[in-house]
Amino acid sequence: MIKIRSLVKDFDGHCVLNGVNLDVAAGDIKVVMGASGCGKSTLLRCLNRLLDVTSGSIHFMGNDITHKDTDVRQLRQQIGFVFQQFALYRHLSVLDNVTLALRKLRGLSRADANEKASFELEKLAMIDHRHKYPAQISGGQKQRVAIARALAMDPSMIVFDEPTSALDPIMSREVAALIRTLNEERVTILCVTHDVALGKVLSDNVVFLDRGEVKAEASFDYLCHDHPDAEVRAFFGRGESR
Amino acid sequence: MLPFIEILATLAEGVAYTVWVTVVCSVTGVGVGLTVVALRKLEISSLTIFLDVFTYVFRAVPLLVMLFIVYFGFPSLGVKLSPLLAMVLSLGVIAGAYLGEVYRGALQAVDDHEILAAQSMGFNRWQILLLIEFPQMLRFSFPGMVNEFTTVLKYSPFAYTVGMPEITKQAMALTGVTNQGIEIYLAAGLLYFAIYRILLLALQAVENYWRIPGMKPL
Amino acid sequence: MMQGWHTFFMDLVEQMPLILHGVGNTILLGVTISVTGLIFGIVVFYLALSHNVIVRSCVKGYISFFTGMPLIVLLFLMYYGLPSWGVRLSPFVVSVIGFTMNIAAYNAAYLMSGYNSLDAAEIDAAKSQGFTPLQLFKWITLPQVLLLSVPALSNQVIRNIKDTSVAFLIQYTEFFARIQELAASNFQFFKAYFFAGVVYLLLVSLVVLMARWLERHIVIPGLHRTLDRQS
Repeated sequence: MIKIRSLVKDFDGHCVLNGVNLDVAAGDIKVVMGASGCGKSTLLRCLNRLLDVTSGSIHFMGNDITHKDTDVRQLRQQIGFVFQQFALYRHLSVLDNVTLALRKLRGLSRADANEKASFELEKLAMIDHRHKYPAQISGGQKQRVAIARALAMDPSMIVFDEPTSALDPIMSREVAALIRTLNEERVTILCVTHDVALGKVLSDNVVFLDRGEVKAEASFDYLCHDHPDAEVRAFFGRGESR
Repeated sequence: MLPFIEILATLAEGVAYTVWVTVVCSVTGVGVGLTVVALRKLEISSLTIFLDVFTYVFRAVPLLVMLFIVYFGFPSLGVKLSPLLAMVLSLGVIAGAYLGEVYRGALQAVDDHEILAAQSMGFNRWQILLLIEFPQMLRFSFPGMVNEFTTVLKYSPFAYTVGMPEITKQAMALTGVTNQGIEIYLAAGLLYFAIYRILLLALQAVENYWRIPGMKPL
Repeated sequence: MMQGWHTFFMDLVEQMPLILHGVGNTILLGVTISVTGLIFGIVVFYLALSHNVIVRSCVKGYISFFTGMPLIVLLFLMYYGLPSWGVRLSPFVVSVIGFTMNIAAYNAAYLMSGYNSLDAAEIDAAKSQGFTPLQLFKWITLPQVLLLSVPALSNQVIRNIKDTSVAFLIQYTEFFARIQELAASNFQFFKAYFFAGVVYLLLVSLVVLMARWLERHIVIPGLHRTLDRQS
């Protein structure tokens, strides 16, 4: 589904991504890990063109989306994005957070949009909270709404940016289970995180990003115990104690 | 045809009056505002109600009406006032009503623990007000004060209605003898804008001078 | 003294039709400029968010100039100045144009400060969903900023009502102009202006009540954390 080749992104001469290669197959779940500042968020932002790449290519469903004539809005509607801080629209109820894009971008009637949104909220056990505002629900609930908002658009894939960083450990585990379930339902997922525990729940294999480069793509076991670089072993070793 | 520069020079004769009215009314406003907020501290309920009514009325009645009551209305009660005093009693007191509210908000931003600490050290309430609360309140309220002072400047042209020879009055006199209204009022607008910018710069300098590291204005 | 008030009220009743007509004109002007000032203020605010540096600095200049110059000078410029170019506008038209330019600058400034308290992540989220800049403005930015700015915007309406009294200086026959006539006819200046003050107090109170009602009925939990009343 996604094929990234030699992706470079620099900000005023400061190189954040330095030749990244990454593949995500349809139905796959891909976990990208790394310490903060390793370029994870930048990578995601290049993916839906919130940022323009400096060089390299990103193929999404066969098309190079780094081209100038890419329909950015079409692209963005196909990639569901779940943000670190959830980024729910504060002035809209839970239900309207999910329906806004359906109504304004897909042109659905309010009734149809409500039906579609209710279906997704039901699935995420948030239907009872549909009339509340974002400030009235917990972090974990906001996360679910953010996921429902992404799912409602029937995206080709969903991208998670640090989905557990704003949650306590118990909620983190719930969210991890939820993302797994989504993937079992054949939703393609790209998840970026520095939470080793989350990474382990989601996938056996992980991509390790360090200073803008893919350092390794291997199993947790290997990265934790056998990787030649002590720093890498230390990073993944953190997950052992949790 | 008067050249633009000459128009500016003529109008500039009114600048001193404009600045004078602005300064006197602003100072009055600060005095009234501080008095209001200090009297509120007495927590006498009838006095507080009076202050609430005062604040509400002086913020609700237009300046022009207040000015006319004072300047044209008071003589029928046997009180004749100079134009400047009339401006002070209308514009100055109205500014005071607004500033009283600005100060009240700023006073709430002072940390209760500091007041508690002062009390436990044996300061009386007036000492606490003058030494602990007011110095912080004045700094917190700086943006609000700047806002009010510039408002006073922008309402100062009303002084022409009571015959003060400030910028607008000069402009009207000049339009009476020439046919260059556009240039004249444009020049007046530029003069006011220049005074406004200089006032902002001056107040900015004052704020920087009094600023305490780590204390942010509201 | 009571005798004086009695004759004053007799005169007042006699001129009541004219005075009521004046009140009507005051309200007409107040409502018109509040609406046009808000609409134009939103347009200025939209332009202020432009990616174009030239547009942005023009908007900045506009806001700065019109909040830095007395409204009355602008009104005099149009009313006493434009005729020398052969353009004669009615007092009402001059008032609407002048007030709108002035109020829009203030409203745009309030909306800008509301915009600064928005959450950048929400903007990114909306972009990620595929909204165009205009859709983003219409459905996310503007609703939030308007809700956040209700106290500032309603204070502006109160100011507008009070400031309509300025229009009498350019011969617009609103309420205060009628009071002038009344005072000039019976020389009861204090009573006439005092009465005017009471009427403005009532008009402003009406707006205050409406603003309070509005603020109570559009409360969205969690959005008004930055709400502060200032005028």
